[in-house]
Amino acid sequence: MTDIVNIVKELFPGVMLTAQETKDDFPTLWIPVDQILRVLTLLKTGVDKPYKMLYDLTAIDEQGRIHREGQPESRFTIVYQLLSFERNTFLRLKVALTAIQPILPSITRLWPAANWYEREIYDLFGVTFQGHPNLRRILMPETWIGHPLQKCHPARATEMEPFTLPENKQAREQDSMQFKPEEWGLDKTIEDDELMFLNLGPQHPGTHGILRLVVQLDGENIVNVVPDIGFHHRGAEKMGERQSWHTYIPYTDRVEYLGGVMNNFPYVMAVEKLAGIDVPHRAKVIRIMLSELFRISSHLVWYGTFAQDLGMMTPVFLTFNDREKVLDIVAAICGARMHPNWFRIGGVAQDLPKGWEKGIQEFIDYFPNRVKEYDNLVMKNGIFKARTIGIGVYSTEEAIEWGITGPGLRATGLDWDFRKKQPYSGYEQFEFDIPTGENGDCYDRAKVRVEEMRQSLHIIEQCLHNMPEGPYKSDHPLTTPPIKERTLQDIETLINHFLNVTWGPVIPAGEAFCGVEATKGHNGYYLIADGNTSSYRTRIRTPSFAHMQFVPAISSGYTLPDLMAILGATDYVLSDIDR
Amino acid sequence: MKWWTSKVNDPTGPISGNSSFEETFQKSIILTNMESMVAWGRKNSIWPFNFGLSCCYVEMATSITSKYDSARFGAEVIRGSPREADMMIIAGTVFIKMAPVIKRLYEQMMAPRWVISMGSCANSGGMYDIYSVVQGVDKFMPVDVYVPGCPPRPDAFLEGILLLRDQVGNEKRPLNWVIGPQGIVKPQGPSMKDAKRTERMQMTEIRPIS
Repeated sequence: MTDIVNIVKELFPGVMLTAQETKDDFPTLWIPVDQILRVLTLLKTGVDKPYKMLYDLTAIDEQGRIHREGQPESRFTIVYQLLSFERNTFLRLKVALTAIQPILPSITRLWPAANWYEREIYDLFGVTFQGHPNLRRILMPETWIGHPLQKCHPARATEMEPFTLPENKQAREQDSMQFKPEEWGLDKTIEDDELMFLNLGPQHPGTHGILRLVVQLDGENIVNVVPDIGFHHRGAEKMGERQSWHTYIPYTDRVEYLGGVMNNFPYVMAVEKLAGIDVPHRAKVIRIMLSELFRISSHLVWYGTFAQDLGMMTPVFLTFNDREKVLDIVAAICGARMHPNWFRIGGVAQDLPKGWEKGIQEFIDYFPNRVKEYDNLVMKNGIFKARTIGIGVYSTEEAIEWGITGPGLRATGLDWDFRKKQPYSGYEQFEFDIPTGENGDCYDRAKVRVEEMRQSLHIIEQCLHNMPEGPYKSDHPLTTPPIKERTLQDIETLINHFLNVTWGPVIPAGEAFCGVEATKGHNGYYLIADGNTSSYRTRIRTPSFAHMQFVPAISSGYTLPDLMAILGATDYVLSDIDR
Repeated sequence: MKWWTSKVNDPTGPISGNSSFEETFQKSIILTNMESMVAWGRKNSIWPFNFGLSCCYVEMATSITSKYDSARFGAEVIRGSPREADMMIIAGTVFIKMAPVIKRLYEQMMAPRWVISMGSCANSGGMYDIYSVVQGVDKFMPVDVYVPGCPPRPDAFLEGILLLRDQVGNEKRPLNWVIGPQGIVKPQGPSMKDAKRTERMQMTEIRPIS
C-alpha cells in the first residue's frame, strides 16, 4: 500500500477506513458515506501533491456479487477515481450504500465535473445525490421507468415490451423533450433584454451526430449552452455483463467508432491484468502499430470535418482520401475497415499477413507531404486562423478541474500523454514527442492533433523497422481463442480449448482498471470479474463525456458561429459520450 | 433511346452510326409518357437528407467523397433540411430516445420520399439487443432498401442506392387523378441474397479490395 493510504488514515483517526487489494494495484480505500466529502476535499486541496482531477465517478450494483471478500457490506457502491499529476498515480475511493433508498452527498461544489457523472449514476442506478443542482436523467429519456444498470432491470430489448410508436406516444415523447429554461435555472431575460433559446439538434449537421444543444442567446452572443445527451446511449456497459469476456471485444470497437482497434486496447489489457496474462512482444508491437494507424485515421476525419465546419469544402475530400489509404492497410491486415475487432485476450487475432510491410512503407513515404499540404491549405489559411485563434480558450487548471485529457489538455501547454507518463504495451521503447500548444484555444488544439499525426507516423515507422519475431498470442491458458496447435497434443489443452471457445474463459475474480491514450483523450475500462464467464460490471470511462460537459463553460461569451469551432475542436463522437 | 459519348482524349470524337436521317431522328426525339419521364428524372436526382445516427454515418459520408463518389448516381446533393430531401438514410443505431425524432423528421420530408436502412442496427437492431435500442427502424416507419453490414462498406451502400434507383424508376406514381386505383405501386424489391447466392457459393478466395 502506498503512502497516500497512510496519509488519509493519519488525517482521519477513528474513521473506519478499509483498504482493498485490486489487480491493478491502485490504492483503493473504502470511506464511510458521512466522511466522503471531507476526504475528497482534503485530497483535492489539503495534501501535498494533491489529486486535482476527478477522473471518473461511477457505481456498482452489488446485488448478486459473490466474491466480495474483505469488502464492507454494500448494496450500491460509489467509486471515485482521482488522478494526481504530480504523483502520476490514480487513487480509488469507494463508498458503500446499504439503504434501500441510497443517498449520499453530492460533490458538485468541490468538483463541477461531478455534475454529469452524478446524474449518470442517478439515471442508471437510481442513487440520489443530496445537494446536486439539477439531479435528473441524462442518458435515458425523461419518460423512462427504472434504472437500466441495476441488476434487476432487463438487459435485452427482446425481454421487454416490443417497441411501438403510436401517435399519442410520439406526441408525449416529443413533449417531454420540450426545453423549459426554468428547469435549468436559466433566465429568460437579461437586463430587460429578452433572451433567445436556440435548439440545435439532435439532428444538425454541425453537431457531428445526434447531440442536442440548447443555446441561450443574447443576440448572437452565447450566454449559456445546455447539452442534452443520451440519444446515442447503446447500453455498452450493460452489454458487458451479458457477453462473454471474449465476445465483448466487438462492442468495444463501436464505443469510439473512429478509433477502431484503439478501443480494444484498454479492454483486453484490463482483462489481461485480471487474468495475469503476459502478452508476447510481437503482439504488443502489432497492437501499437494498428492503434497508431487508427489515431491517424481518426484525426483525418476530424481534420476534414473541422475545416468543413468552418466553411472549407476541399479539405474533407482530401483527408477522406488519405483515410481510405489508412483503412486499406487496416483492411489488408485485419479484414475490416472501421471495426476490425482485431485484438484478443492475450494477443491479436492473427499474425500479420505476408507483405504487410509494403502498404505501410508506401504510406510512410506518401503521408508527410500530404500533412504539409494540409498545413498550407488549412492551418495557414487566414480565415481558418481568424475563426480559431483566441476562441474557446481555457487554462491547464480549468482543463484538469473538468477532467479534460488528450489533445485538449496538451493544447494548454501541459505535456501529459499517458503513452509517456504511464507507458503501456511497450510504448516506453518508442521515440516520439508530445506536441503541446500554448494558448489552449481551438487553433492550438488543431495544431496539436496535426503534429500528433506526424508523431504517430514516426511510431508506425519504428514498428515497421523493429517488428519483433515470435508468437502473436500468449500461451497462457486463458488466452482466447487458445492456440489451436496445442489442442491435438493432450487432453488438458483440448478441454481448455473447448471450454474457452464454447463458454468463454473464466476470468478470476478481481477488479482492474486499464486506460490508454486514445484518439480523443484518455479512455479507460474498469472491469470487475466475479469468477465468471462474463464481467460483473464493465465501466467505460470515455474522454468525450468529460469534454462535452466542459463545452458550456468554454462557450459563453462567444458568438454562435464560434460554438461550431469549439465543438469541432473538441473532437468528440457521440458513441464516446453516451456509450 | 440510343446515345453515346466520346472519349476525353479524342480530339474529334469517333462518329458512331452512319449519320442517316433515321438515326438523327432517333437521337432527337424521345417517345415516352409523362409518368415515366418524371420517374426517370427522380431516379437520377435523388437528394439525400444529411442524417446520421452512428458509425454507419461515417461510411455513408465516405461514399460521397472522391474515391466512391455517389455523384455518379446523382445522389450527392446532401440537404440539411428534411423538406428539401427525397431520401432518408437511417445510417446507424435506432435508439429509443431518438425514435420519436426520426419519425418526426421522416414525416417532415415531402412525398415522394424513400428510406434506406443502412447497417445491421437499423435493419434489425443487429448486435445491440439492448434496452435502449429499437430492434429495426421498420418497427415504426417504412423502409425501401436494406443494406447489410456493420458498418456496410461505402460501395455496399452505393449498391443500395443503385437498387433504390431501380425501384424509383419503376415506381407507379400517378401524376393526376386516373381511372381505377389511385395509390402508389412500388415494385417488389429483389432479394439480393437469392440473386447473388450462386456467385457467392462459387467464391473460393477473398477478393482483393483495391
